[in-house]
Amino acid sequence: MKEQIMNTMTVNGKDIPIETGDTILSALGKAGINIPTLCHIEGLPPTGACRICVVEDTKNGALIPSCSFPASERLSILTHSVKVLKARKTIVELLLANHPDDCLYCDRNLDCSLQKLAEELGVRHRRINSNRITQYVDTSSPAIMRDPGKCILCGKCVRTCEEIQGVSALDFSGRGSKTKISTAFDISLNLSTCVGCGQCVNACPTGALVERSSIHDVIEAIQDPEKIVVIQHAPAVSVSLAEEFGLEAGIDIAGTMATALKQVGFNFVFDTAFSADLTIMEEATELVQRITQGGVLPMMTSCCPSWVKFAETFYPELLPNISSCKSPQQMLGSMIKHYWSEKMNIPQEKIYSVSVMPCTAKKFEIEREEMVSKGTSDIDASLTTRELAKLIRMHSIDMKKVVPSQSDLPFGERSTAGKLFGASGGVMEAAIRSAYWMITGTELENLVITELRNKQDYREIAVDINDLKVKAAVVSGLGNARKILDKIKTKDCDLHFLEIMSCPGGCINGGGQPKSIDKDAVIKRMKALYAIDKNEEQNVSHKNSAIIELYDKFLKKPGSHKAHELLHTTYHKRTDLI
Amino acid sequence: MEELNKKIMLVDDDPDFIEPIKMLLESHNYTVKTANSEEGAIKLLETYKPDLAVLDLMMDNFDSGFILSHKLKKLYPDTLVIIATGVAKETGFRFSSDSKYGENWTNADLIMDKGIRPDQILKEIKKLFKE
Repeated sequence: MKEQIMNTMTVNGKDIPIETGDTILSALGKAGINIPTLCHIEGLPPTGACRICVVEDTKNGALIPSCSFPASERLSILTHSVKVLKARKTIVELLLANHPDDCLYCDRNLDCSLQKLAEELGVRHRRINSNRITQYVDTSSPAIMRDPGKCILCGKCVRTCEEIQGVSALDFSGRGSKTKISTAFDISLNLSTCVGCGQCVNACPTGALVERSSIHDVIEAIQDPEKIVVIQHAPAVSVSLAEEFGLEAGIDIAGTMATALKQVGFNFVFDTAFSADLTIMEEATELVQRITQGGVLPMMTSCCPSWVKFAETFYPELLPNISSCKSPQQMLGSMIKHYWSEKMNIPQEKIYSVSVMPCTAKKFEIEREEMVSKGTSDIDASLTTRELAKLIRMHSIDMKKVVPSQSDLPFGERSTAGKLFGASGGVMEAAIRSAYWMITGTELENLVITELRNKQDYREIAVDINDLKVKAAVVSGLGNARKILDKIKTKDCDLHFLEIMSCPGGCINGGGQPKSIDKDAVIKRMKALYAIDKNEEQNVSHKNSAIIELYDKFLKKPGSHKAHELLHTTYHKRTDLI
Repeated sequence: MEELNKKIMLVDDDPDFIEPIKMLLESHNYTVKTANSEEGAIKLLETYKPDLAVLDLMMDNFDSGFILSHKLKKLYPDTLVIIATGVAKETGFRFSSDSKYGENWTNADLIMDKGIRPDQILKEIKKLFKE
């Protein structure tokens, strides 16, 4: 039902419009009045946990939490009265009472909501003293580190994990002053059901949840004269990195990034969109085989490591449905160590292979047992987009003055289909383009599949390929995925192909992405990917000449024995996680 | 072919840590012997030369793992050492073998923070054995 303008509410003596369903906070936001929050998550029901968003009711002087109080015509409020500012300051002072004073050493220094609020509200000394929490950092997970000492109990991680991702690895435990955020039985994050998606890291207002950084490992490798250090960058990174350098969201800086990476000291810069094309060749072949030879359907994509871990933990019965293809990151890692090293005559052990991903779960993926053969990992270290920005800043590179360059060949050539992997629906669009060509020998008339490009969490499409009607669907956000997975479990589903991405909106909204202040940043990043697809001419994976050459010279053909050995993997049911 | 199996020594005072890993490693054809203290490990080493040892850090002493690591490398220089420790979560200290400095003074080939999934330790063992 469309919301209608209903009435007005009085704010600081002026009337502002309110709509049905508005809370005070949402009405104020629409009127351009910003109220600080620590626990509010847009799109989820309010909890009123932090009380930072209080406003004063002029009629009785009461302080009311604006996030959870419905806006109404009768209301007259003050947003920045002395009483309000004093209350907000006291709340921050109380939060700081048992907060460690280690901002200088904190991962979120200068990027912390609590620090920012303390500064804005004029907190200049510790007024309230309390016992510090003596729980140390949980460093067990390869993806995420959790420091309970910095937690302010806003509950955003809990709600993100439960209500958006449907994982529930974290929850409140204890009562009163002993309340804390905890995993089940307070075990290490690594032994919990956490899938490493990093959405909690994005939600956390402080440094309580951060990615496990690999920056120092990478720097050490770069400085080692014995090592040849290569880096691959994921499709979503080039359209998001600019935000870290104060530029507008949605600008593609692939060329600038390639030069900056060389300036940091990487010997070779490759594009993961190349191996996204390779993934499409393998995955589309697998899909065609499954459909024509009666394989397990619907086939599900395997690009997203936290989705794969989610399936291994919660839906092991559906593991046969997941494509056996490695993710593009791992495929390129494998090609670098097994094909390129030979081609370049560089011993495998001399290569240090790095990836920069919009993702924290990729750090988990590179550590998977299946991604190591004969003592060699496909990828040695994975950085997030945020870490890459730190690395670039550390090397004092002025991104505005960098002259753009191309990624190195042969893994620098890509189609725009590979680039689309960065947005939810992109893998599907790219796969349909190539599957159509594989079956019919002709190109799809309209390469842009608009049905897959809307903002809905779940999108379905049917494509006629010769006599076959291929039914495919796209879903992002693991909580949304659960709904369709439950249908598949009960056989209440006639899909052939299903793309699942853990993060809502796909990799452009990944757990390793810049924490943009622009609310529309994800949409802008998505539009940037679609603009690349529109403006460039090479739109299908199967026409990428570097891919054709790779098959000619090394892999023979999609789905070949060699391809299976190097580009495919297995999954296993996880019974050891709590 | 029993004698060809790689030999592993697990040392930890927490049986809940040792048992699942022992079972997994044995199912992958490794020969596994265990000890639950620094003293027990030193005794075991008199008759058992492991190809790889997984050592807890804090057992009889706070630095049992480091002591064992040094003794082991002196006795059998080729034996690979993984120190698996919960020291970061229990005390706030962090050790790492990532840097050359860390590798030198701890004498360990790898330091892992607990909790460790059994499949994770299997991967690291295979990686160190280059299997």
